[in-house]
This record gives sequence, C-alpha cells and structure tokens, in this order.
Amino acid sequence: MSAFQTEEEIVFDVEEARKVIKESVEAVIGENAYQHSRVNQWSSSVMEQCLSQLSKLGKPFKYIVNCAIMQKNGAGLQAVSSCFWDTCTDGFCTVRWENTSMYCIVTVFGLAI
Amino acid sequence: MEEYNPADEVVFNVDESTFSIKECIESVIGGTDYNQGKVNQWTAGIVEHSLTHLVKQGRPFKYIVNCTIMQKSGAGLHTANSCYWDTATDGSCTVRWENRTMYCVVSVFAVAVAL
Repeated sequence: MSAFQTEEEIVFDVEEARKVIKESVEAVIGENAYQHSRVNQWSSSVMEQCLSQLSKLGKPFKYIVNCAIMQKNGAGLQAVSSCFWDTCTDGFCTVRWENTSMYCIVTVFGLAI
Repeated sequence: MEEYNPADEVVFNVDESTFSIKECIESVIGGTDYNQGKVNQWTAGIVEHSLTHLVKQGRPFKYIVNCTIMQKSGAGLHTANSCYWDTATDGSCTVRWENRTMYCVVSVFAVAVAL
C-alpha cells in the first residue's frame, strides 16, 4: 500500500512565498528613489508579479497580496493584520524591504480552497 | 415548492462591513492624537473588534482584517491590494479614516468557505 501524501500540497508554503515576494520587489523597485508619480505603477507591478508567480505554483489556494510603499522621512507607521481562517492549511508571509529612500512592505495571504 | 436562495448569505456585504469598521475605528482612536506608545494597542484593538463583529454575522467566510496607522508628517504612503479568488462570492472593503494627526486605513477581505 503506497503512502498517500496530499497534506504537503495544502499547507501554505511560507518560504516559497517569501522568495516570490523578494524577487518581485527587487525586480520592480530595486535601487529607484521614491517618486510619487511612479509609486502607483510600482505597487501594481509588484503585486501582479507576485500573484502570477504564486498562481503558477498550481496549488489549491486563493491569494491576497497587500503592498505598502512609504517614503522615508521619519514618520511612524504601524500595520497589523488579524485573520479568521483554518490554521492548519492557511498562512501568510510578510516581507519588509527598504532602500535609501523608501520602505516597501508586502504581505501575501494564502487560503486553502 | 419553496424558493431556496442561498445567494444572499454567501456574498460579502460591503456596505454593512464598511459601516461596522467605521464604528470600530471611531471607538478606538476617535478624538486621540498620534501616540507612538499607544499605536500598537490601537491597531490590535481595531482589528480585534472588526474581526469579532464580522464573525458574529455567522456567514460562511474566512476573514482577513488589515489595519495601518500612519502619523501625518508629509511623507507619501501608497497601499494597494490584489486578489486571486472567486469573484462571484469573495469580496473586500477598505475604509480610510483620518484626523488632524494620523491616517488609518482598514481593509477587510472575505473569502467564501466551500461547505
């Protein structure tokens, strides 16, 4: 009798999500300086790349991607999330990235179908 | 033969959620000034109240509540969300609130559970 292992497929893979997010942010923003006129386009591109890479993994998950870009000027920022879901299968991953002029915080939530 | 319309219960009600989130925000930070020592407690309070309210509705949804508070100091802030889900049943709502010293943005995402 062969071992039947489906459980691996329905747990949110945090490390994989982290890798996808880091690559997307680096590719889209990289060393660019904060520019109000481009920030809309940057956050859209980061999220689009993250979602397309995640959906390519072919796992039975729904995804929500949240991206916040803030200019560095000494202001305080606090961001918190609370979730009501299935703790066995669902999960999230947050990546805090920065360069000399801005912070970029991306969170991916994965919910099993 | 009775008509069975489950559709009402499995579509996220944006207006109702927007209203209850606004009330949660007002009750936690209405009338206060930005305070770095308290902001942690404020965001936790807002997400907790909002989530409790949503769960009490007893609908077959999983929820994610996200709250961001930023001090007003002239810095630029841009937040955005993108979702890969079932557009027929899942939904979200975002509430933007501000006073003289801070901005507060709360987003709720509701994902239908297959019963």
